[in-house]
Amino acid sequence: MEKTLAKKSFSQWVKKLSSWSVYIPRKDEEGRWNYAEADSGGVSLDVLQTTLPPKKILFPQREVFLEFAKTLAGNRETLEIKEVLPEVKPTVIIGARPCEARAAWMLDEVFGGEFKDAYYWRRRDQTALVGFACTIPPSENCFCTSVEGSPHSEEGLDILLTDLGDRYYVQSMTAKGEKLISAAKELFEEPKPEARKQVKAAHAESEKKIRRQLKDARPIAEKLKGMFDSPLWDEESMSCLRCGICTYLCPSCHCFDISDEVDNPSPLRGQRVRTWDTCQFPDFTMHSSGHNPRPDKASRLRQRLLHKFQYFIQVYDKFMCVGCGRCITLCPVGIDIIKVLDKVRDHGA
Amino acid sequence: MAKIEDLKDEARKLLREGKVKYIIGYGAGSNGWPAAPLFIKKPEDVDKLVWDPTCVHNLVRFLVDEKRRKARQRQPDKRPVGIMVKGCDSRAVVVLLQEKFIDRNDVYILGVSCEKTGVVDDTKLAKKLPGKKAKKIEVDAQNRFVVTTEEGKTEVAAAEILAERCLECKANFPVIYDLLSGEKTKRSLDEPFGSLQKIESLSAADRWSFWKEQLDRCIRCYACRSACPMCYCDECVVDSINLAVTAETTADEKAQRIRWIQRSAESSENLVYHLVRAIHLAGRCIDCGECERACPLDIPLRFLNKKLEKEAKELFGYEVGFDAALPALVSCFRDEDPQDFIR
Repeated sequence: MEKTLAKKSFSQWVKKLSSWSVYIPRKDEEGRWNYAEADSGGVSLDVLQTTLPPKKILFPQREVFLEFAKTLAGNRETLEIKEVLPEVKPTVIIGARPCEARAAWMLDEVFGGEFKDAYYWRRRDQTALVGFACTIPPSENCFCTSVEGSPHSEEGLDILLTDLGDRYYVQSMTAKGEKLISAAKELFEEPKPEARKQVKAAHAESEKKIRRQLKDARPIAEKLKGMFDSPLWDEESMSCLRCGICTYLCPSCHCFDISDEVDNPSPLRGQRVRTWDTCQFPDFTMHSSGHNPRPDKASRLRQRLLHKFQYFIQVYDKFMCVGCGRCITLCPVGIDIIKVLDKVRDHGA
Repeated sequence: MAKIEDLKDEARKLLREGKVKYIIGYGAGSNGWPAAPLFIKKPEDVDKLVWDPTCVHNLVRFLVDEKRRKARQRQPDKRPVGIMVKGCDSRAVVVLLQEKFIDRNDVYILGVSCEKTGVVDDTKLAKKLPGKKAKKIEVDAQNRFVVTTEEGKTEVAAAEILAERCLECKANFPVIYDLLSGEKTKRSLDEPFGSLQKIESLSAADRWSFWKEQLDRCIRCYACRSACPMCYCDECVVDSINLAVTAETTADEKAQRIRWIQRSAESSENLVYHLVRAIHLAGRCIDCGECERACPLDIPLRFLNKKLEKEAKELFGYEVGFDAALPALVSCFRDEDPQDFIR
């Protein structure tokens, strides 16, 4: 379904979605952008990149799996275990970058398949993604076009909005998308033929504006298979601080840890929780014997790249990188995944 | 800012003669910030060294890595490592020496003077030139910053985009070095603890809500800990397991390890993490500001450390990072130390 929506009607549309939890990039007093719930005030879209991707809405940093409690009745101690599944209201993320939606599409693969992750799907099934095409690249380190994405990609999205000056061009790809439009039918108009032309031109133009490029990503993926023991990893990881920025803020990274958190030791009461974890922390692979199969920064940087550019492709035939550039922009020491992969490509050449 | 041609000549010589293993310095970054850490092993790569107001990083952090690397090697190369340090960074070297974490023979210190300016704060720069990205930042003869963007050059008064810590700088040239590039010039300082005034004027309740809001944003990526040259413990309270475990550690020892902090990034846990870190840095933090710079969520961590630095100064007359022979603040007692907390 294709429509247009006047920009002045955008806030009204968001208001009409009152039965949904609406997330949209919002700016706080200090000028920091973050996906937050839209309030009743005015909302607008802007081409920008939030520090935290909307991954946190589908895959929160902390998820309670179950609650446990010991009770004493007479002399008998019983342990009660209660599964906790998230209760999620229909949710819509408006203004998601197309790359962020592609990342959700990758998370779907990981948490789907043969064993469905009930916690993830409780949220995912209820969530619609309304993307906003990047007519201007939101970051100087964007490289989505190099990893089979595009600034107007529809993958993972229910609706794609494109800025046409005084109006948005609205493309709905799914039944969820149509539902969102029908919540405020009267605001949407049939697109005029010139609007169709304009949107095509805007999309073609947007691809040209992406500044950074990773050439030959697929051949690099092939080449990585023979690079496991390369000294390159040592060199490239010298400046790594072993923090979790590149992975925690990555829209497609999804590793987690499960631990029991005790609220009260006696009588025992607590929760089993899933929290984000990262291959960049030394304790991620630490064995209880004291042996750590990834003992240094080199092996951890290698893991991050191989997971994204070798293993994931072998399993799902997709890069596990959407080219948002966050890991590049936010790395405190300027480790640049494009540069590292450039070196892989040129290695031994 | 100093010109570093003399330093480059020396660096080339050191590498050619094999007097240092490698040199930790600054080179060109590719992620949108002009400078990034650079590790040089070959004399011909010395030309890649840069020194400008975007050399914000405290490279002393990499001496911690070097020590860990050596510990893992069977026959470690014992030659020193060359390292470029600013005035503030050199104070971090002093602390590592004072705490006997490194030996003076482990490092060859290539000092650079910030002279009359300092380094640029990326957040302030982004606010000053919204939407533009600096390709290069230089200092002109009047000590103003000249920022080159795609649209051309813009002059900015140094005070407008200088890092907060530079406005409160205590050492604009290195306090310890083997070679110094640039002048030991005096520079005018703002209030030594100026940045604290606003937060100190708040009531306890307001401070509490300020910190709650700030720390609630924390995602526990530990970039602050990772960027800090003083956070070198092998075992840290925040890690989910003990990294100091060896094949000899018994099952009992492992099981009995106290979990001080949960993994969940929640208010109480975040607060414990940041307070533990701040307290462990009392009398040790040299205010390089790396924790705050590395934080992707802009948590103003410097305030915590700066406050403790102020307490150390006011209560014990102690200023860290100037004298490696001095005993560390928390490991010494002097008769004149205040004792009013003992009741």
